[in-house]
Amino acid sequence: MSEERIERLARTWIATGQQEEVETTVNELLSTGSSLLPLVKALGIYLTSEEDDERNKGVEFLSSVLARFPPEKLNRQSVRVLATFYCGKLEDTETIVPALKGLVTLVGAPTFTSSDALEVVKALFRHVKMRVLVQAQRFFVFSIFDTLVAKQRDALKGMGKEFLDGYIALVEGEKDPRNLLLAFAIARILLIEFEIASHVEELFNITFCYFPITFRPPPDDPYGITSDDLKNALKACLNATPAFGPLAIPLFLEKITAGSPVTKRDTLSTLDVCLPVYGASIARVNARKLWNTLKLEIFQPTDSGTEAKALRTTQILIQVIYGEGADGGLSDSQEIEGLAKEASDECLRILKEPEKSQAKPATKVLCAFMSTTASVARFTLKQAVPSLSARDSVLGDSEVLPTEGEAPLSPYKDEVLGVFTVGLKNTGTCKHALEGLRNMVTTKGLLSDEELGFIVHNVNEILLKEGMEDDDVGEGILEVFIEISSIAPRHVTETTLPLLFSSLPDRAPPRSADTERLKFWRILAFLKKLCIQSDLFEMLVVRLSTKLDLICTPKNLLPESDTEDLDVEPSAAYAHSILRTLADVLGTKVDKNHPDVPKYIDRLLPKLYHLHIYSAVAIENTLAIATDPRLVAVTSEIVTKVIQTQTAQRQETFVADLFAAFFEGQVKRIADGQPKIPEDIVFKPFESNAPVLQRHLVPLFSAAIVALRKEVALPIPDENTFLQTLLLWSLDETSIQQRDAVYHAIGSVVNKRVEGLSSFLSKQLDAFWTSKVADISVPADIRRKAILAWVWIAKALLVRAHPSALSYTERLFTLFDDTDVNWDAARAIGAIVRIDKVLTKRNNAIVKILYAQKFFNALLPRIVEGAKTSGDSNRQNAYLVALTSLIKSIPKTTYAHELPTLMPLLLRGLDLPDPEIRANVIDTLLATADTETKNPTISEHASSLVNTMLKNSIVSEQPSVRLRISALKYLAKLPSLVRYDVLHPQKALVVRELAKALDDPKKAVRKEAVEARTNWFKFSG
Amino acid sequence: MSSEAFNPNPTVFVPSKSKTAASFSKNNSLWLDGEDDQDIEGGEENLDIAEDIDQEEIFELIRSISDPEHRSMTLEQLAVVSAPEISFDSVDDGIPSRRIKVEFTPTVPHCGMSTFIGLSIRVRLLRSLPTRFKVDIRVKPGSHQSEHALNKQLNDKERVAAALENPALVEVLEQCLAGATE
Repeated sequence: MSEERIERLARTWIATGQQEEVETTVNELLSTGSSLLPLVKALGIYLTSEEDDERNKGVEFLSSVLARFPPEKLNRQSVRVLATFYCGKLEDTETIVPALKGLVTLVGAPTFTSSDALEVVKALFRHVKMRVLVQAQRFFVFSIFDTLVAKQRDALKGMGKEFLDGYIALVEGEKDPRNLLLAFAIARILLIEFEIASHVEELFNITFCYFPITFRPPPDDPYGITSDDLKNALKACLNATPAFGPLAIPLFLEKITAGSPVTKRDTLSTLDVCLPVYGASIARVNARKLWNTLKLEIFQPTDSGTEAKALRTTQILIQVIYGEGADGGLSDSQEIEGLAKEASDECLRILKEPEKSQAKPATKVLCAFMSTTASVARFTLKQAVPSLSARDSVLGDSEVLPTEGEAPLSPYKDEVLGVFTVGLKNTGTCKHALEGLRNMVTTKGLLSDEELGFIVHNVNEILLKEGMEDDDVGEGILEVFIEISSIAPRHVTETTLPLLFSSLPDRAPPRSADTERLKFWRILAFLKKLCIQSDLFEMLVVRLSTKLDLICTPKNLLPESDTEDLDVEPSAAYAHSILRTLADVLGTKVDKNHPDVPKYIDRLLPKLYHLHIYSAVAIENTLAIATDPRLVAVTSEIVTKVIQTQTAQRQETFVADLFAAFFEGQVKRIADGQPKIPEDIVFKPFESNAPVLQRHLVPLFSAAIVALRKEVALPIPDENTFLQTLLLWSLDETSIQQRDAVYHAIGSVVNKRVEGLSSFLSKQLDAFWTSKVADISVPADIRRKAILAWVWIAKALLVRAHPSALSYTERLFTLFDDTDVNWDAARAIGAIVRIDKVLTKRNNAIVKILYAQKFFNALLPRIVEGAKTSGDSNRQNAYLVALTSLIKSIPKTTYAHELPTLMPLLLRGLDLPDPEIRANVIDTLLATADTETKNPTISEHASSLVNTMLKNSIVSEQPSVRLRISALKYLAKLPSLVRYDVLHPQKALVVRELAKALDDPKKAVRKEAVEARTNWFKFSG
Repeated sequence: MSSEAFNPNPTVFVPSKSKTAASFSKNNSLWLDGEDDQDIEGGEENLDIAEDIDQEEIFELIRSISDPEHRSMTLEQLAVVSAPEISFDSVDDGIPSRRIKVEFTPTVPHCGMSTFIGLSIRVRLLRSLPTRFKVDIRVKPGSHQSEHALNKQLNDKERVAAALENPALVEVLEQCLAGATE
């Protein structure tokens, strides 16, 4: 019954060749038993048919069924029969392919035995001619061997010479990467496990003929074989047996000498894995030759990558020769001989002329030696240190030391330390000596506490020496100090800091004294890096605030002799630098959340307030340097940073004192210092007739307000009225700094305390808008100030995602027809959403996420629409201005997806008369220029872009330096943005026009012009 | 390029650094720069002050050209070029000079790369200096065995133009100049 069914299925399949029949047959066979014999019987007529095609199909069907048949169900008898059957079919050229296919499955069956294996292998050797088979068929052969080698290894080993001869003959000449991956895997097993002594050369030939792999996968390779896969598989063969050593090394050397850089690197990394396997004796025999070749790559490198690899290989060579496992491994006491000695002698000989270019690679080789084995490291050091110290530490010496580290150095540390300290004194070597010292300091257990002290002492000496102002030296000194501070801070605090503090002058050097000025800048830069830790910072605050008092004392400002003129600016700048240092260190501490920041509300702020207020009320105007807006600005920063870390309670008491001081003249409540502020002075900076010096201090008031927590109420009856007062005060005769300060304060209060401000936000602001912004009879400069105030109020609401934020913004659009202020209103749109340093989380402001994105998405359609349609060109331009300022204010990712829409508008923006706007547009274009993908929009506008940029880059047409620079930067970038064939017609023009930009009066512009012109010169198809 | 190096082991010099105060403040100002207020002052106030092209700026253009024989090193490192060896012809009646003389020193007197070095300096300046300048490129007197022939070759417009017609030569040239543009 079932036999008939099977026969029918076989017939159907032979006619149709459908997979379905295969499945059904497998199921049918499984249901009747676990033998394939019924199928063989059923196929009988086909398998023995005279027709080539029928035979082929018969075997094919059998193999297909076998492939689907569960291998564990195959009984011994079937396997046996099938093995013999398939071996017979290998003879027949018509059936060899399906027979191989069947064998692939069969050899993996659990009941396949070693005698079957021998039979199959012999048949394969006898009948299979690889050259007549296509890749997929050869792949079957390799798969069969792969399985056999894995499962029937002992049987194959037993075949001995016959197997190796047969296999080698079979695989010779294979070229396909898929097959090679298998062949390499098989070869590795043969090399490691089989008795190959008599076949080394043949095996060498069938593996090394592939070296180096130059295969590159085709771009759409479906098999996903990379050249690295092949390289790794081949490497695994090449380093499978030490027997390859004598044959391989000459070949490798040849490849390194004659190969391309890629081949060189490939060969070197292959050597890295082979040398340890080939072993010490082979390495020793070839050491000279290897070193000579490697030396060439190190001393005359083709590129830095190859050089690094050659150094690495040298290290491995040394490790192999002198390593612990090496049979000739030397005990510690023995002299090192052979390669390490010869090579290091050679390097040291080269180092006798340390200024020559070869000195550098020689140092690298010595470094490489030191990080190989302990004995070689010791030996090299012993050789190197005396010879290096013999000379007066010259350039590069210290580079020897970085890599070795550990204990081997200890016997020589005194000498090395000596070399470095001498090196410190010399301008040329100082940098390297510092590097060396740092490495010694970081080497664990090398230096004693005393020696660290010695280093600090020596570095202190060069700290302020003339001629050591090089940036790198400064960096190096700092690094040494920072390392030592982390191990033994005592040395730095006890000697270095006092030295630095005492070197700061008590009065500012005169304007012409550049060197002295540079010196105190350097000292402050050192202090800024060293005094971050809490007790060091405390010392810094005490010393610097005292210094500030001294600098600002009127007697120290007056000229020392009658011949000099009064010039207080250097003093103001000096005080500014000191405040700047304090602010920067404080900033670092706030960023690191140091817990000692809050206490400076009592230790530092009163002194600073005193300094400024005293200056404003008690010092003659010309000498009141502490009222300089630049100094006030830095102090404001300090105030904000200190206040933002306070608790709400502390802020409340502070803000009460602050208001008392600024509105009621009770300055003592926030200021404390010497000399005392006279009792009879009047300090009321917000009064309408307040002296200008007092007005300058308004930022010091705002600076505290902006940092308050939201629960801190202002100590006044009504916050609405207070804000209104500030707002109107700002429209008065105020400077930019004062106005900004007040707007920051208003914004901050609105942001944090919006709940209680409904009357201010509706009634008072409505009135403000009507009377100060919208009223065209008001002078334009007042209206502009009012718009700025408006920006800060809208911004304060926007960052906390307040629902009315947009309606405040919307009002600005109503000004777009008003040519007096329309551009200011348009710029304000961007200003509202611009990131600022006031309304931040640190300052306890309420900031919601994604407010900028929402704002952008809400406004963009309206702006784009306006820029495209509104008939009046003034109005259109205002929209363009709004667009550029908006884009300038938000992160690139927010608008990136809108670029196709925006691009035409941005290009129109390039025609606006305002250079700043044009520069902004170009900056936007630069920021969005993606060199990876050639942007079609840019290509489309390429020629007009080129013309516009050229127009904006020539000084005779364009007075703004910033715009010229931006335009040139864009021109420099264009060749990488647009395909050559598109831009090619412009090349001659650009090169010619840029010649004019090369003659720009400004150096910075010329630099960009050179860059741009070079890029265009190099631009070719 | 020939495999025989003209000078396989030239002396390397430490580049002299001239920047000092610049790292603390701009425009020789008395005031220290803050950490993040870089863009506040745009230099607009000294808009009218022209900064003339000086020796330093020209040196800046050529110092980082790679040496054709030792690609990893610059002409400055090998002391082939240096700022003092760039000179302007004497100023007549306050009109800035239009003639620039650039001298360079081959590392060895028999250096066969000298013409090429001169050519690379020539091309770099041709591309980077305004056309009003006339540039003389010469080897330092006494530093090369065929000094006269070299000087003649380097300042011959026709021969420079002819050299730039040679694609192989231009390719190497671009490689050497690549260092200078970074």
